[in-house]
Amino acid sequence: MIRSLKIQRKKWFNKETFALEFHLPGINARPGQFFQIQVSDHLEPFLNRPISIASYNNNKLFLIIKIVGKGTKVLSTKEAGDYLTLLGPLGKGIKAKRRTSLLLAGGIGVAPLYFLAQQFYKNRINFTFLYGTKTQEDMILKWDIMRIANESIFITETTSVKTTSGNKKGTVVSSAKELNLRDYELAYACGPKGMLIELQKLNLPIPIYAFCEDFLGCGYGLCLGCAIMYNGEYKRICEDGPVFELKGIDFEE
Amino acid sequence: MKNKLFGLAFKNRVFLASGVFGFGLKYKRITNSVGAIFTKGITFESRKGNPPPRIFETPCGLINWVGLENPGVDNFCIKILPKLKQLKPRIFVNIAGSTIEEYIKIVERIGNGVDGFEINISCPNVKEGGVAFGQNTKIAARLVSLVRKKTSLPLIVKLTPNFCDPLVIAKACVEAGADGISLINTLYAMAFDIKKKRPLITGGLSGPAIKPFALYCVNRVRDIGVPIIGIGGICSGQDAYEFFLAGASAVAIGSVILREPYAPLRIIKELKQLMG
Repeated sequence: MIRSLKIQRKKWFNKETFALEFHLPGINARPGQFFQIQVSDHLEPFLNRPISIASYNNNKLFLIIKIVGKGTKVLSTKEAGDYLTLLGPLGKGIKAKRRTSLLLAGGIGVAPLYFLAQQFYKNRINFTFLYGTKTQEDMILKWDIMRIANESIFITETTSVKTTSGNKKGTVVSSAKELNLRDYELAYACGPKGMLIELQKLNLPIPIYAFCEDFLGCGYGLCLGCAIMYNGEYKRICEDGPVFELKGIDFEE
Repeated sequence: MKNKLFGLAFKNRVFLASGVFGFGLKYKRITNSVGAIFTKGITFESRKGNPPPRIFETPCGLINWVGLENPGVDNFCIKILPKLKQLKPRIFVNIAGSTIEEYIKIVERIGNGVDGFEINISCPNVKEGGVAFGQNTKIAARLVSLVRKKTSLPLIVKLTPNFCDPLVIAKACVEAGADGISLINTLYAMAFDIKKKRPLITGGLSGPAIKPFALYCVNRVRDIGVPIIGIGGICSGQDAYEFFLAGASAVAIGSVILREPYAPLRIIKELKQLMG
């Protein structure tokens, strides 16, 4: 479904991360699903930018965008009142399973996991939200996460963050190692590829569902541009995912 | 403008180029609006495609290195073609062998169940066959003449302008029995990762960045004597119109669909307004 939507509100979290709010009634949005945003009415940048759903509540759609290149840079210049062309929701996404869960968010990977966390909260499913960033300024949605998570752990690589479980400095992976994983039945992870690879190496005793990202061509399953080797065959990140069980992913291929 | 080509009537002269729209089974409204669909390239055996990254955005376009991922001709005939035939547009199957024998076997396997074939001798992303056949006049002509013996359906050859003169190859293909020429396929292209100091992707460039060159190529072969399907970065009715002025009898839409799935509908409408 393709729509031209007006930006209702825009909010900056820090110098490079902002949220756009749209009014969009009647979609059936699932965590992991995303929208393809047309960056320009002209032909440059040419491809759309895939942005995960960070929240969908009362017909309000929130997309959180981090400036990482020229496309997201252009998007950052859009203001409330401007219109953007959105294609979606795309991808299969996942349904929040009724299992005590551990959410592992690295960097901007927090956005889709925040959407998942809200589903857990609504459905009264217990979960711990572990969230790591490079610096304290990079950390967004901290209070929103604390409000809904049964337990939240925040960690940065550069400075210690005061948390419910004491002062921490490190990464999502180093913190995950310290947790008692028997407390959880399932984990969900979203973050840089390096983080997912390290997590995979940890061989945690619980299944981990990884929210994958990539440069997409179309985003709706036709161009076969976003291949990921999963259980021995190429899957499309956009249409078959973007959530895959981590142990089935071959990051080398 | 009458929409008759290769002895067939078409709903219009805007087609879906091979590769970007899969088999047209999703977004059926779009598939049904165009004159013809050129399927994703079909090989004899199934192909899993190339490892990622397969897509890289470039100024006004993109490089792709998908590598002809497809289910193979048997699966195509059994699982896909029956569904595709329920849709309205003319069906041209893009065939990509790694040997001349494979092209022949694919055509034989498909038989008469489609409206025509597009012989792909221009894919830059596979090791065997593909662009190597399209750069060699003798091989291209031999391939066309052998396939010609196996089918009476319209036979279009999709040409490359990579390191060869499409006019020379086109002439040889028409003499060998081709009913039409599609051009251009993607251009050789690369991007480098400056941090790792190595290539990031090597593949085929498409999108509006290649349109001026595509127009030049179409114009160069315009007097070839068979219909030309102009391809290369068409994003608007005006772009399409330019290809008609360059000598194309029809156009095929590719990369723009990635950013705008409904682009074919818009282009058909814009073209109608321009051409009256």
